[in-house]
Amino acid sequence: MFQHTALRYTALILLAVGAFTQAVTAGYFGLEILTEILLLAMLVLALDMVAGFGGMVSLCHGALMGVGAYAYAILTTKAGIAPPVALGGAIAITGAAAWVIGAIGARSHGIYFIMATLAFGQMAYSYVFEAPFFGGDDGMGGIPRIDLSLLGIDLNDSRSFALFCLVLLGATYGAAVLILRSGLGRSLTGVMHNEQRMRALGLTVWRVKADVFGLSGMIAGFAGALSAQHVMYISPGLLGWTVSGEALVVVILGGLGTLVGPMIGAAAFVILKHEVSNVTSYWHLVVGVLLIAVVMSRANGIFGWIEARWGARLERRLSDLTRKTDAEEITTDA
Amino acid sequence: MPLDPGFWALQALNALQLSMLLFLLSIGLTVIFGLMHFVNLAHGSLYALGAYVAAALATVGGYWTGFFLAPVAVAGMGILLYSGLIRRMRKSGPMAQVLVTFGLIFALLDLTRIIWGDIALAIEVPSLLAGRVSLFGIDYPVYRLFIIALGFAIFAALALVLKRTQIGAMIRAGVDNDAMAACLGINVERLFFIVFCVGCALAGLAGAVAAPLLSVTPDMGLQILIPTLIVIVIGGLGSLQGAIAGSLIFGFVQTFGAVLAPQLASVLIYALLAAVLVIRPMGLFPAKG
Repeated sequence: MFQHTALRYTALILLAVGAFTQAVTAGYFGLEILTEILLLAMLVLALDMVAGFGGMVSLCHGALMGVGAYAYAILTTKAGIAPPVALGGAIAITGAAAWVIGAIGARSHGIYFIMATLAFGQMAYSYVFEAPFFGGDDGMGGIPRIDLSLLGIDLNDSRSFALFCLVLLGATYGAAVLILRSGLGRSLTGVMHNEQRMRALGLTVWRVKADVFGLSGMIAGFAGALSAQHVMYISPGLLGWTVSGEALVVVILGGLGTLVGPMIGAAAFVILKHEVSNVTSYWHLVVGVLLIAVVMSRANGIFGWIEARWGARLERRLSDLTRKTDAEEITTDA
Repeated sequence: MPLDPGFWALQALNALQLSMLLFLLSIGLTVIFGLMHFVNLAHGSLYALGAYVAAALATVGGYWTGFFLAPVAVAGMGILLYSGLIRRMRKSGPMAQVLVTFGLIFALLDLTRIIWGDIALAIEVPSLLAGRVSLFGIDYPVYRLFIIALGFAIFAALALVLKRTQIGAMIRAGVDNDAMAACLGINVERLFFIVFCVGCALAGLAGAVAAPLLSVTPDMGLQILIPTLIVIVIGGLGSLQGAIAGSLIFGFVQTFGAVLAPQLASVLIYALLAAVLVIRPMGLFPAKG
């Protein structure tokens, strides 16, 4: 089950403060990068939910994000539905698609589950790529952003949009924590550790897997609908398997099963990508070598390494502090 | 819809040719997995490397120099990878192996870009195999027939080695139960090393024969990876029959799908893969019962 430690709270506060300062002070380019980080963070949260807490390593989350983006684009531009409703619709559609994938894939494990999700993701990719209704490989443009002028917020301004995404990422994180702490989330972790025992306890294993996969898909679809609004243009490339692969790399670099780690990974990944791209066009080489080094080091990503190194020490120091205050209280009471 | 038999013969030959190319790639990957449960996602990158080496050598010493030396060069690369990375990853879980080889894809992709640049290379079909031949009332390029024949020859040779020789028996024993095979005195690790090198050489060979057909680009390894994985999952991991059956299914579904239902062609193969995973999660011809 997911638990907050002192280290995780510290990292969350640092991340939030960093993102907020960036959102208030940065120029146009900085804001674009920040929004990119926030949306990637939302996607990897969804992936970490299923991969880190359910052992379901998915290679279709990029495609799910793309489904959300396309659903939002179709609902707003072709069906003429108001953006907030379309956003809800996109989340529902993606969630339903993910639930079906989760239900079908629930029987397979390990490499077979990876292949099954890859197959579904590529199916969506090829279909969108070929279908003229979805604009084929030209993609679709002219996607509107949500209108919040009633609240006096203009989302077409990149600063407001970045702050909007930051707030939504915070809400999504809260939702992910709630899901993982609920009975459903606990059952999922049980299934990951020992599926047979959970079945023997009377749990319908495939329902648990499908439900969490559906919820994770809703988050991915949400991220997709937001990224469609961010770029205001979508192309089938969004659904390709390399997007899912990159999301998986981010989760691993950050720290699988920590929720906080993948968000740090998202920030590190996007910043690294831009910094390295400035210096050399061979940024894949850097990411590849980094990924190999992280996996070979046997640490659980950046955040997992920090937790293993300093987490225990921090906890001990904090518990020492609280014990000392407790002791003082006792003496003063006496 | 054209109905003359020549058209269908042409499509069938094209499907066979695609199948054989995929077979050369998938056989190495599937036996490596079957023997050691090692998922090498970088197999496609080795194929791209083979194509590049063949293209580079073809400009120096002609097509056949590349054809024979590319597998050797790629097998050499395989030895490097094995001693540097893969031997250390043997004890880790499948997840770590998938990720390390995924990182390897990225690294090898940029290495080929650094060495050979971003521009696509093209090599000529050798004069011995140039031209067309009349077959079933159609003209078909000799080179493509050569690929089909090569695929069948390799299949026959591998089937012979696996069924009739001692090392083949050892490999089958290792795939069936590696712990028991080790107990019986088979050096499974060395066996794995040999299989890995042969698999790499076959990937290099596939790259070398594909080079004159497709243009040689850095991302050709990524493009072939997904079809190869589909082949081995449909066929069943670890078995020779699975690799050949999966390759034939993929080649024919892809080619005839594009002719009969162009709208659905690309979705068809993924739908088939999903169906196989649902109905027979271990593939059509799994190596283990």
